[in-house]
Amino acid sequence: MIHRNARSLAVASMAVAVLSAQTIPVQEHTLSNGMRVLLVERHDEPTIAAGWVARVGSANEHPGMTGIAHLFEHMMFKGTLTIGTRDARRDAELNVAQDQVQVQIRQELDVLREKQRRGEIADLMDPKARTPRLQRLLGEFDGLVKEQRALIVKDELDKLYKQAGARGMNANTTSDRTFYHIDVPANKLELWAWLESDRLKNAVFREFYSERDVVLEERRLRTDATPTGKAFEAFQALLWKAVPYTWPVIGWISDITQLNREQANAFFATYYAPNNLTAILVGDFQSAEALPLLERYFGRIPANPKGVPQVITQEPPQIAEQRMSVEVEANPMLVAAYKAVPGVHKDAAALDVLGAVLNGQSGRLHKSLVLNQKLATSAGAELNGMKFGGIFYLEAMPVPERQPEDVEPALYAEVEKLAREGVSEHELQKVKNQVQAEAFTRMENTGRLRDALAEAEGAGTYRDYLEETARLQAVTNEDVQRVARTYFTKENRNVMLVHRKATPQGGK
Amino acid sequence: MFKGIFLGLLATGAMLSSQPIPARPEQLSFPPLTFAAPRTKDYVATLKNGIQVYLAADPQGVPFVRLKVLIKGGRYLEPKGKAGLAELTGSQWRLGGTLKTPAEQLDERLEFLAGSISSGLGDTSGSLDLQVMEKDLKEGLDLFMQVLLEPAFAEDRLVLAKQNALRSLQARNDQVPAIAGYQMGYLLNGEGHFTTAHMTAASLAAITREDLRAFQKRVLHPANLVVAVSGRFEKEAMLALLNRTLGALQPAREAQASPKVPVPDGVRTPGIYVVDKDVPQSMVQLAIPGLRRTDPDWHAVVVMNQILGGSGFTSRLMKKLRSDEGLTYGVGTGFSPGTYWKGDFTCSLQTKNRSVAYALDLILKDIDRIKREPVSDEELKVIQDGIVLAFPSDWSNRQAVATRFASEQLAGWPVDWWADYREKIQAVTKAEVQRVAQTYLDANRAVILVVGKAGEAEAGDEKDHPGLLKDVTKLPLKRLPLRDPLTLQPLP
Repeated sequence: MIHRNARSLAVASMAVAVLSAQTIPVQEHTLSNGMRVLLVERHDEPTIAAGWVARVGSANEHPGMTGIAHLFEHMMFKGTLTIGTRDARRDAELNVAQDQVQVQIRQELDVLREKQRRGEIADLMDPKARTPRLQRLLGEFDGLVKEQRALIVKDELDKLYKQAGARGMNANTTSDRTFYHIDVPANKLELWAWLESDRLKNAVFREFYSERDVVLEERRLRTDATPTGKAFEAFQALLWKAVPYTWPVIGWISDITQLNREQANAFFATYYAPNNLTAILVGDFQSAEALPLLERYFGRIPANPKGVPQVITQEPPQIAEQRMSVEVEANPMLVAAYKAVPGVHKDAAALDVLGAVLNGQSGRLHKSLVLNQKLATSAGAELNGMKFGGIFYLEAMPVPERQPEDVEPALYAEVEKLAREGVSEHELQKVKNQVQAEAFTRMENTGRLRDALAEAEGAGTYRDYLEETARLQAVTNEDVQRVARTYFTKENRNVMLVHRKATPQGGK
Repeated sequence: MFKGIFLGLLATGAMLSSQPIPARPEQLSFPPLTFAAPRTKDYVATLKNGIQVYLAADPQGVPFVRLKVLIKGGRYLEPKGKAGLAELTGSQWRLGGTLKTPAEQLDERLEFLAGSISSGLGDTSGSLDLQVMEKDLKEGLDLFMQVLLEPAFAEDRLVLAKQNALRSLQARNDQVPAIAGYQMGYLLNGEGHFTTAHMTAASLAAITREDLRAFQKRVLHPANLVVAVSGRFEKEAMLALLNRTLGALQPAREAQASPKVPVPDGVRTPGIYVVDKDVPQSMVQLAIPGLRRTDPDWHAVVVMNQILGGSGFTSRLMKKLRSDEGLTYGVGTGFSPGTYWKGDFTCSLQTKNRSVAYALDLILKDIDRIKREPVSDEELKVIQDGIVLAFPSDWSNRQAVATRFASEQLAGWPVDWWADYREKIQAVTKAEVQRVAQTYLDANRAVILVVGKAGEAEAGDEKDHPGLLKDVTKLPLKRLPLRDPLTLQPLP
């Protein structure tokens, strides 16, 4: 209640021009099957930034099937009963046949897993460790794939969009939501509605098993073949004890290699029902024409009266500081991660302001650690407010002659000072000026606005995004001081020290 | 207000929802979308000292002004032994403060105004950028002109910048893409070209504040500058303002119009080069000499490249290597436009070490196929339609168009080269696609680089796709050493 009063005060004190620029004209609508729709018209360029978000991510997984939310995202590009095949019936038969062979393959992998458990082989996925039966089954499976390939119209979804002049077809998965987006020419809205509602209604997860290999390559690219990838993955697992953020979004290798189509089908039925989705259009269209079109196409997807299982588990309070020290081929770095709050929590705005006071060329961290004490080459702070929890990160890169340990006390001293003394009037005003400027940029780019609305819908509602400026403007010095005292405690802290591993070819 | 609209909607909705949904998306029909390519003359103006300005005024838009001063000049002008001077001059031009406004004060004021000034210099060009809210334009432009004309290059900021630079040198061998980047440069352009005269710990130590000053003074010549400005302003008022500021710039005694960019000597040794790095996934890169964008073959080359590997999932290589074989997260090809010398055809992907030989074999087979067989009518049409119909979204943001025109002028591309781009793309035939593939995809001239676990990559995938890396092509295979990150001398 206090917040609401503060907010209306802040809004009232702003100039009229400012107010009109901040008001993003979002039209909200719910289709007959429960799917939400957000529309923002913007007519200066002949394109539409389109997308839809599913409120599901890796936090909805469990051990043994980690990575399915992300692999599933890949599968949504593999076609439908109509798109991607020349013979839907034979295609379906081949999928069934493939799944049957995969059941047998998994039985063999169970045998190999037991051997690995007993130390008889090092890695059950090593081709050299295959049993003769497994080798034969893989050959049999390969034959079925080749037969199916003759019927497949490769990547037809991409082709149809590309030929229509659409750009940037992609999707991404986080712990909390999965987001599918594309920019289409203004006259191609119906094509988008056709293709997207078709894959939500009639998806077929063909080429499932080879896509696991693609994801393994993606995992190598992002995590295994980068110097700090595995360190950050381990740090993440250290941070979270109970909330399902402990495993990486891309999944553990052991799980990715065993995911199967039956799991994908069940996942789809549970989490991709229309009442768990929001579609977003930003750009050059008329709402009066778009809404009936969306109802006609997306409204045909059957609702799921059962609803979606909630994520129940909550993080127990951390009882002690946790520390991790790692040597990798990377420049030294210190990361201090404090357990904080979800992005929609009422304290998030104050933590964002606190971060903004610390950041920037004229922020406290740069002035103190970089310019005055000459301990670090750079330093930063940021709240990562996710759906079921949040982390406030402090980071610093020591100067070449220093180690991560050397910058640690100086970093903590800055947040302790904030808790003790708060922020100055001038610093607070600077942050608020930046917030105000940022609010103007929100309408500038259709793609960015679409993405921001989708992000907000994934974690709460789009109103959280629209009201963010006012929430930030309402933050007081007392708020900043209070959240600094509440969250920046030693037992709430997790620290990763990154040291450079000595190699003949590495930096010193 | 919205209530009325929604009522209207419901009525139309009821009517429209009875329309059947066609069985295939090809059965949909769409209203035409016409879009005229933007023309330079609608954007350009000339300041009184000859500097060209591209303006995108949006008097009703969001209350920002964005000004970009593009500068011809960069690494190619560095004196011997001072590699890194352009980069440091570029960053410190702004970060080092001005003679009137010390760095710390400048940082503070700009951030308080929620504005920014940034600067940087690259290989052959760079820019100084201002973004301010419309209400702060006068103060912002004053600070910007101070930065442009009277940078202080504060010593303590230079020390900090050198520490940052040293940190990035130390990270040179940490990641496969970075290693591939510098190794491919040596293979393509040799040791003597400015593109491979990289910063070392010694060259970094040799750079002084005086060097930065001299470099900045040298490139700050009206003949080296092109300007783009966009945001909320009236065109005439902005031109008057720019004439009073940038238009008043006269070349100082030390200023020089930047000379021609030197061309690499052209001596390359085709082959497969392998750099050993202990990682589970290799990077594979391939380069074949190409052409410049002004070549009459360019449009056919664009279409051919998109069919082969330049259009994501729709391209042949992505279908084969990713969708069919699960060998990579992504594979892509491209022809660089060759701003100052002929560009290259390049192909790049990352795959697990043991798949390198098989993946490369598949790539070379597809390169061979597009030379041997005509592409299909459908492939040609999909790519042509796609390029033509996506053109409006590439060219409708006026701010981006102003910046693009300005950069094209700085690089010396012909004016309004894009005006008939769609027509020329549409006119490309299957025979031309095949001919340019034969002309520009000579695999015997390929330089192929593999960075990854060398032994595994060279051995290939003995179980599933047997074949040694050295047997994939007739080109010789050679191991290359990593280089010392601080000296760039080959390691033993």
